[in-house]
Amino acid sequence: MSEQNLFEAPAGWLKSAVDALLSDGVEVVAPVGAEDGTVDLAPVSSSGAITLEYLNVNQPLKRLFFPQTEVLIEFERQDDGDIDVKSQSAPPEEEMVVFGCRPCDTAALDVLDKVFAWDYDDLRYRERRERATIVAFACTGPDPQCFCVPVGGSPHGSQGSDVLVFTRDDGSALLEVNTPKGEKLMERLGAVARPAQPDSGLPDVPDIHTGFDPEKIKLWLDDNFENEFWAGASLMCVGCGSCTYLCPTCHCFDIVDEGIWNRGERRRNWDSCSFGQFTAHASGHNPRPDQAARYRQRVMHKFKYFPERFGLVACVGCGRCLRACGVGQNLVSVLHDIEKT
Amino acid sequence: MTNGDSVRGNTALTPLDYRPAKMRIESITDETSDIKTFRLTFCDQDQNEQFEFRAGQFGLYSVFGSGEATFCIASSPTRRDYIECSVKRVGRVTNDLHECNEGDIIGFRGPYGNWFPLDEMEGKNLLFVGGGIGLAPLRSLIWNCLDLRDKFADILILYGARTVADLVYKEELKTWRERDDVKTIYTVDPGGETPDWDGEVGLVPVVLEKENPSPENTIVIACGPPIMIKFALFSMRKLGFPFESVYTTLENRMKCGVGKCGRCNVGNRYVCKDGPVFRYSDLLLLPQEF
Repeated sequence: MSEQNLFEAPAGWLKSAVDALLSDGVEVVAPVGAEDGTVDLAPVSSSGAITLEYLNVNQPLKRLFFPQTEVLIEFERQDDGDIDVKSQSAPPEEEMVVFGCRPCDTAALDVLDKVFAWDYDDLRYRERRERATIVAFACTGPDPQCFCVPVGGSPHGSQGSDVLVFTRDDGSALLEVNTPKGEKLMERLGAVARPAQPDSGLPDVPDIHTGFDPEKIKLWLDDNFENEFWAGASLMCVGCGSCTYLCPTCHCFDIVDEGIWNRGERRRNWDSCSFGQFTAHASGHNPRPDQAARYRQRVMHKFKYFPERFGLVACVGCGRCLRACGVGQNLVSVLHDIEKT
Repeated sequence: MTNGDSVRGNTALTPLDYRPAKMRIESITDETSDIKTFRLTFCDQDQNEQFEFRAGQFGLYSVFGSGEATFCIASSPTRRDYIECSVKRVGRVTNDLHECNEGDIIGFRGPYGNWFPLDEMEGKNLLFVGGGIGLAPLRSLIWNCLDLRDKFADILILYGARTVADLVYKEELKTWRERDDVKTIYTVDPGGETPDWDGEVGLVPVVLEKENPSPENTIVIACGPPIMIKFALFSMRKLGFPFESVYTTLENRMKCGVGKCGRCNVGNRYVCKDGPVFRYSDLLLLPQEF
């Protein structure tokens, strides 16, 4: 990144930037704390609501572009027997600027972009992506469950972000611009940040202590679809689906109708390969009849099938699945076990 | 894989908003006690004229308020005035479809998926092996081939069901049997025959071995319940059919139909995009998870 793409912002810059954007009518999404101590990205109406005290936002960035539930169509039966079918209206046209997501979550957008725009172009996803400018915050203190580095990321990774912010202890920041969208945003925020001095170095990248080699893991996966390992590795899994819902790259969904007899809506909802019904046929046959088969699918999909199909690992090492699992099922331990065999 | 590759080679993206086209139920045929065939036309006349598909492709059919379900298009692409699907009553959507009347409006998205390799089949003997409602995708292809009869050598249709009552497309089975350019063998499982049944009695693989067709210059297309396919393939191996010349379809559960919702995959293949038609020798390379 050439240094012309670096901008210097004084302490209090975020407040000024958010207020300036809000007064321009831009939708601003930023980290907001909840009573239970979690922090999530949410639309804000003033900069006062924003918190910077978090390792990562609780729910993954994906939900802004691929929401947990959304209406696809609405339908209503007419008196003459015809059915009025309406596409749910497109997302708002106004711009959206997202502050505060982490580099792991923005890297995950690469995975989602591939899924939602190969062969068929998912219009809802694309429209939401197009209206959003993403200002990610580089990580300063990853925790022991973070593992972005072995899966190709970095606490300072710029993949998927339009602007990457390096916050200093005194509240000032260096802003690294990565895309034309990011340039446009910086032009708009000319009063908030100015081009950085040529000697403004980036801070040191914090260490990530977890290591494994996805290529070595894939070699094992290539030969071990049938292996007793899977029964043992999945023994604790209760199939709750938390890991998939919180995963920034998981994208499986269900399509269901909801309504009363004469009108209703068709919705797209997040789904999970951990659920027994996920692949169950109407006949009762289930190609993945037990949790071992489902857990195997999750690991295979992320570290073998997706790389084969789309050229990248479908895991960004955010560590949410490790932190959230109610029974201590640990993907990294499983990968370490695979590596050791 | 089969001709799905040509679909993937196309770099232009098709816009997708999951909005179904409206189709009117023109007629309903009772095939068995729990299988009905629906003849459908698009409510929008332009769509009727523009709609094209190939034998083997499928659609997402929906009863508004119940949801979508995946069925193959069971009519032939050479019959352009309508499409047909045959539906067994097993779950929520299929139950509600069975409750529909002629004139009712349902939703349709498609056609999706790949298709049977008609080019490769040209000039070859064709052996169709079907079981139960597995005749639905074969019926699309059979009529497609019969409408282009000159392009193919000998055609043999081997079809079986558990009982005589479970045979689908009974009128068409008769039509095919009466033609002199098609050989037909119909069978029911032992115990499933009626006093006036004049076909074979025996499981499809057993009847196949007894018939002993030559594998020479022959393409096999086999669709039916997984257990029938499994044993039919044993029999084909015995009879010397190379698995490169055998095609079948997979019927995994689907939601989107276009390679996104993530549930129909077998290994790194999406049944909705790389299938539903698979060459059997390719299927053997995949994890046996279907």
